[in-house]
Amino acid sequence: MAYCVNCGVKLNDGAKQCPLCGTEAWHAPTVEPPEPYFPLEPTRVKPESKRALAILFTAMLASVSVCCGLLNLILNAERLWSLYVIGAAVMLWIWFVAPMLLRGIPVFFRLTMDVVAVGIYVYLISVNQNGGHWFRGLALPILGEACVAVFLLSFLLRDHRHSTISTITFCIGGVGLFLMAVGYSLDRYFLGHWKPGWSLVVLVICFGLVIPLQIIRHVPSLWEEAKRRFNM
Amino acid sequence: MKTAKGRWYKLDSAGVLYSALQTEEYSATYRFSAVMTDMVQPAALQQAIERVMPRFPGFAVRIRRGVFWYYLEHNDAPGPFLKADTSDPCQPFRFKEDNGWLIRFYYYRRRISIEVFHALSDGAGALTFFRTLLAEYLRQTGETIPQEGLLNVDEPPRPGELEDAYSRYAGQHAKRLEYLPKAYQNTGTPEPFYTFHVTMGFLPLNVLKEKAHSCGASITEYLSAALIYVILEKQHREGLHRERPVALAVPINLRAYFPTETLHNFITTVRPYIDPEMGEYTFQEIVAQVRHYMKLHVNRQELRASFTGNVRFTQNRLLQIVPVFLKNPVMALNYRLLGVKPYSCTYTNPGPFQVPESMHPHIARMEVVLGQATIPRCHCASISYENTMEITFAGTLAETETEREFFRFLVREGIPVRIESNRSER
Repeated sequence: MAYCVNCGVKLNDGAKQCPLCGTEAWHAPTVEPPEPYFPLEPTRVKPESKRALAILFTAMLASVSVCCGLLNLILNAERLWSLYVIGAAVMLWIWFVAPMLLRGIPVFFRLTMDVVAVGIYVYLISVNQNGGHWFRGLALPILGEACVAVFLLSFLLRDHRHSTISTITFCIGGVGLFLMAVGYSLDRYFLGHWKPGWSLVVLVICFGLVIPLQIIRHVPSLWEEAKRRFNM
Repeated sequence: MKTAKGRWYKLDSAGVLYSALQTEEYSATYRFSAVMTDMVQPAALQQAIERVMPRFPGFAVRIRRGVFWYYLEHNDAPGPFLKADTSDPCQPFRFKEDNGWLIRFYYYRRRISIEVFHALSDGAGALTFFRTLLAEYLRQTGETIPQEGLLNVDEPPRPGELEDAYSRYAGQHAKRLEYLPKAYQNTGTPEPFYTFHVTMGFLPLNVLKEKAHSCGASITEYLSAALIYVILEKQHREGLHRERPVALAVPINLRAYFPTETLHNFITTVRPYIDPEMGEYTFQEIVAQVRHYMKLHVNRQELRASFTGNVRFTQNRLLQIVPVFLKNPVMALNYRLLGVKPYSCTYTNPGPFQVPESMHPHIARMEVVLGQATIPRCHCASISYENTMEITFAGTLAETETEREFFRFLVREGIPVRIESNRSER
């Protein structure tokens, strides 16, 4: 029978190390390792199947879309108003039903898909309003910028892998850069060229907020103090 | 109560809560194991399960989601079937899988284990079931086990075993909702939910009892104090600017105060705590605080008032017509605020496992595992059998600091501890 020299507890004859502190255990060579105390076969409960629920929601959304499409043939047939409903159904499907079916998909892809869903809806609105110009010139660049911002932010922050301060830094920085890009797109569409204005002010404010946070994060004594004071 | 298809049962107020907390990655689950002196015979154990299940209709159920509440329905599907044990116990239950069974049976070498969804029963009810199962298993293997002190599996269940004792004993006065300050959360790095670390310590009961009595405390009070002490020390080592109270959730078996035969849930929790902002406490002082807290708060009136509020909640006419999908998130949030945040750890001690004399030669020791917590922290549970006290720390935390310091403390106190863990098997 072995003891952990660190914890003083008695260990299993087959234990290679103390399960409490990891200190290696030594056994006399004559001792035959016994069968493991716990089984070795791991188990994982299967994720709950949401297929039935997904099919139900899909049927409901599809039914609403088809009904409104048919109604559009007789009611205000000169305008494709049903596209608003169909677009909303597509957007709701991507937001709520697709995640039920694609369980293993990483969160950063899922959030990017959500932004793409908004893009599809906006596109259908533009089709109905003959708004190809504003869609290509304004909506598409802003949606693209939102896609990039959401993808990068959710990729960087996946699995809570950063400290609270770094997470706040990424969020503030992301918002600042996104609004800067939005300002650029608005200027390009309305003025034809970029004129630094409100978006630059927002970016500088975000930058100003981030600097002290990063100083705290990278100076060990300040970081320790912040952790103590805010119970982080 | 009886329907055309079969019997159905209302959930008691604790069952309502445990069902509402159910998520993809969490079920309120616990496990009892008996390590036998001989290798388990799976065929005999399966036969014993089939003989015992009809005697306990409260366990032979599936859970259904009604419009306003969950309810339990008699389960006539095949099973439950005995399975070979796996490395990570207390996995979440899926209400629609495994034929809807909310109780699982496992065997591994000399160990027989049951896992129970907490909405069905508490530890005392499950131990009655387990005792009957073990007796029937031994009979199936050819041993002679007299009936005395055990439930007869050939008799029909007594109505009292299925009663909602909370409703029966709910009084006129509910405890006023009091503000419980947030306690030190004792969390760490979470592993994926299906990785469940279990560390067991085995202690000689007589030595532990002697030590506890020398401090003027019962075993539960002594171990609660030890746990508070090591968590206080852990918090202190983290060097926080403002230290939070360290509080335990200690379930109390209400059957000792309100006589009932029920095998359903009949527990409530008390909250012994130490606030380090008051100053430094020695271990002896912590033992005294815990002991006095228990003596002051564990009484019929206070216990009754504490569960009366929950009974009123489930019987409130207005809340009864709120659909369950709206009630569940509110109850889950309420549990987080009142059942998780004010506590640092759960410690439960169902006490000694008592079996008739004829069963003693066949059971070597008992084990208990509390399932995962709703946040990444470890739970502590203990059970004694003959002269062995078994204490389990279980959770999805990567770190071992709480259990390490707890067992080291007991060793320093002069109590020898033997450790087994599924961490070392990985």
